[in-house]
Amino acid sequence: MFLHYIDLSWRSFKRTPLVSMLMVLAIAIGIGVTMTSLSIHHMMSKDPIPQKSGVLHHLQLQTMDEGRTYWSTDDVPFQITYQDALNLQNANLPYLRSAMYKSGFSVHLNSAQQKPFVEEVRLSSRDIFAMFDLQFIYGGTWTQQQQDDIAPVAVISKSINDKLFKGENSIGKSFYLDDIRVQVVGVIEDWITPVKYYDTNNGSFDDPEKIFIPFTIGIANEVNSWGNTNGWKNEQDDTFEDLLASENLWLQFWVQLNNEQEKQEFGQYIMSYMKQQQSLGRFNREELDYNLFNVTEFMDYRGVVKHDNQIMVTLSFMFLAVCIANILSLLLAKFLRRAPEIGVRRALGASKRQVFNQHLVEVSLLGLLGGVLGIVFAQIGLWGVRTSHSAYDALANMDMTMLLAAPVIAITACIVAGLYPAWVVCRTTPAIYLKSQ
Amino acid sequence: MSELKPIFNALCRSKVGAILLLLQIAITTAIVSNSAFIISEKIAYIEQNTGYPEQDIFKFEVMSFGESIDYMRQGELDEAAIRQMPGVVDAVMVNSVPLSGGGSASTFSLGPTGEKRKGVNASIFEADSHFLNTFGVKILEGRNFTESEVSVVEEYSQYPNIGLITKAMADELFPDGDALGKTLYQGDRPMQIIGITDVMKGPWLQSERRDRSAILPFVFAQKLTLFSVRTEPGQRAQVMQQIEQHMSSLESKRVIEGLQGLDEVKADYVAPDRLTMRMLLVMIVVLTLITALGIFGLTLFNISKRTKQIGTRRALGARKSDIIRYFLIENCLISVVGLTVGSGAAILMAQQLMKHYSISQMPLFYVLLTAVGVLLMSLLAVVGPAKRAANISPSIATRTI
Repeated sequence: MFLHYIDLSWRSFKRTPLVSMLMVLAIAIGIGVTMTSLSIHHMMSKDPIPQKSGVLHHLQLQTMDEGRTYWSTDDVPFQITYQDALNLQNANLPYLRSAMYKSGFSVHLNSAQQKPFVEEVRLSSRDIFAMFDLQFIYGGTWTQQQQDDIAPVAVISKSINDKLFKGENSIGKSFYLDDIRVQVVGVIEDWITPVKYYDTNNGSFDDPEKIFIPFTIGIANEVNSWGNTNGWKNEQDDTFEDLLASENLWLQFWVQLNNEQEKQEFGQYIMSYMKQQQSLGRFNREELDYNLFNVTEFMDYRGVVKHDNQIMVTLSFMFLAVCIANILSLLLAKFLRRAPEIGVRRALGASKRQVFNQHLVEVSLLGLLGGVLGIVFAQIGLWGVRTSHSAYDALANMDMTMLLAAPVIAITACIVAGLYPAWVVCRTTPAIYLKSQ
Repeated sequence: MSELKPIFNALCRSKVGAILLLLQIAITTAIVSNSAFIISEKIAYIEQNTGYPEQDIFKFEVMSFGESIDYMRQGELDEAAIRQMPGVVDAVMVNSVPLSGGGSASTFSLGPTGEKRKGVNASIFEADSHFLNTFGVKILEGRNFTESEVSVVEEYSQYPNIGLITKAMADELFPDGDALGKTLYQGDRPMQIIGITDVMKGPWLQSERRDRSAILPFVFAQKLTLFSVRTEPGQRAQVMQQIEQHMSSLESKRVIEGLQGLDEVKADYVAPDRLTMRMLLVMIVVLTLITALGIFGLTLFNISKRTKQIGTRRALGARKSDIIRYFLIENCLISVVGLTVGSGAAILMAQQLMKHYSISQMPLFYVLLTAVGVLLMSLLAVVGPAKRAANISPSIATRTI
């Protein structure tokens, strides 16, 4: 029966090609506009690391004196101090964790063959690769020993390995970061993520870094952060030493807590740590406070999705509503013209339900065609977005979810539009039309 | 006016079509007026006066990696060398580039830390006396600093105690207009205002501190230094082409990066806003077209349904213009109701946008203009089908009854 209905729908489509094309076009444009803004919104807001987003936690400590304010929604600073980063990194805790910050170096081989280039570098602990599921092609992370001994080692990603070492197994080879000669201990696949969720301080949609070195190297070589440094206290900050001892906030801290119990235990540890620091004259507050958000909570907290995008999504769904109203009136016109034919079918024994279903199948077919054409329109729209700025290269794309969502939304929209016309037409009383034939 | 009643009665008999059209017009009005307002806000933001001749300025970064380099000496040499280049008006080594989204900022108060005095957050530019000339910014009151007042040192202990501030910042801190010569405090560090500059935007156009900047006579060269250069009008491209080679010839252990005109720097910063603006623009154009098509289609349908009635009216003596008028009035009736509902929806929507997002209040002017536009568009969409209806021959009525 279903196939028969599809056959009928196709005949009906061919009988009024102009109106049918108009309807398909209307739904396609609606879907094109909606999917363009929805895809960008989806890429911005989707879970960037679904397998681990629940266990990776970003730590924020309320280090500021009582009464101080910060531009976060809850006055807790986004980043932490070096003292806290070091203490928590070195504490005797069983969790994977990493204090980290971003800097940059001139990368070169100290030879004339390779033109030096500037590259952003992430300084972190050895755990970052295991925590963020970064896949090694060659080698592995540096050892705890190397980290503690400030050994000049680095993990590079595939594209850097291609550039410096022509893609071969470069374990044991050396290159230079400024004047520091570092040895490659691991090569990972390029870190691809539409949202740079692990450091949202300088552009949530920047590309991840491609070179990783132990953050102990950065401290020993006085490597300044290329990210934000926020000071709130009036204190000596002339030298790098001063920075390390100060209350300046400039590092990010991530910790992997596998279950609720670990999260609670870590929370208790943080509370006791802050109490202990209070005895050293820090954390001058009545109430100690910290934030421990997982990836999705953190993205929400930092407002990764921009207001403009949310407005665009709202507007485009309203746009879709206009398209639905449009299709509804066209469908009404089309179906009512067919009333005599339906009268005959009813007289020959078709039930109301069958007539109703037949028409819903017909509108679904329109929806499917509109959805597919809508994907084409959305691709054109997204291409336009990508050409507007390189930051959208990774964002303005349709992933599988969105490709499937497009026809689903289109068919749903068409069914919504088709319900009333189908209902009207299925109530056709056979007698009138039989008489006039 | 006696025509209104039969038209209204006829409408009542085919309510659904009219209601659908009304809804389309209402939603279109709500979307278009709000979008138009957001677009105009974005254009104002993108096109705002930054105070700089952006077309003649460019910036680049020098990243050194030779341990033996004396950054300070090298920085001064670089500056002197760039200023010598043909086509260059002036050049300066600066801690941050305006409009770039990267820089430093601090709170400047009327008193030192202990005193609870009024303070504002402002961007900080650190450079030598060539800053104003390089960026083409005029001084309104007081004077620029002299070469001897600039601290070229590698430590912050000799941080300068004089500076220039923008007019906007001066007006905010000293509403009486007597800022010149007064002292501001960055923490406990005093800074005497020796000059007040014309409009110049800071590094963050979106921040509330965009109009507040302080310029301090301080040069602190590090391994990563920023240069800004202003050229003679029309010569920028040529100078930009030569700059990398020129800088590398001065010292080989360095990488020249981020070579960009100031207009491009700004374009990058406002890219998301420009994108939103363009998307909205496309959206309202397509939306208007779709609504117009909808009206067009519905009127055609109505006419074909009423062919006999129209023929009868014509046979009974109605002129062509009467038929056209009938459809125009019918459309007007629907449009006016739709526009009224739509205007209400537009205002409600604007309130919601204002509440949830950082959007300012939409002036009613936008709703009004959109309403007039939509009305005109809907009338235009009806004229064609109405003319066609007028051409229906009276004989139709007599042929099939």
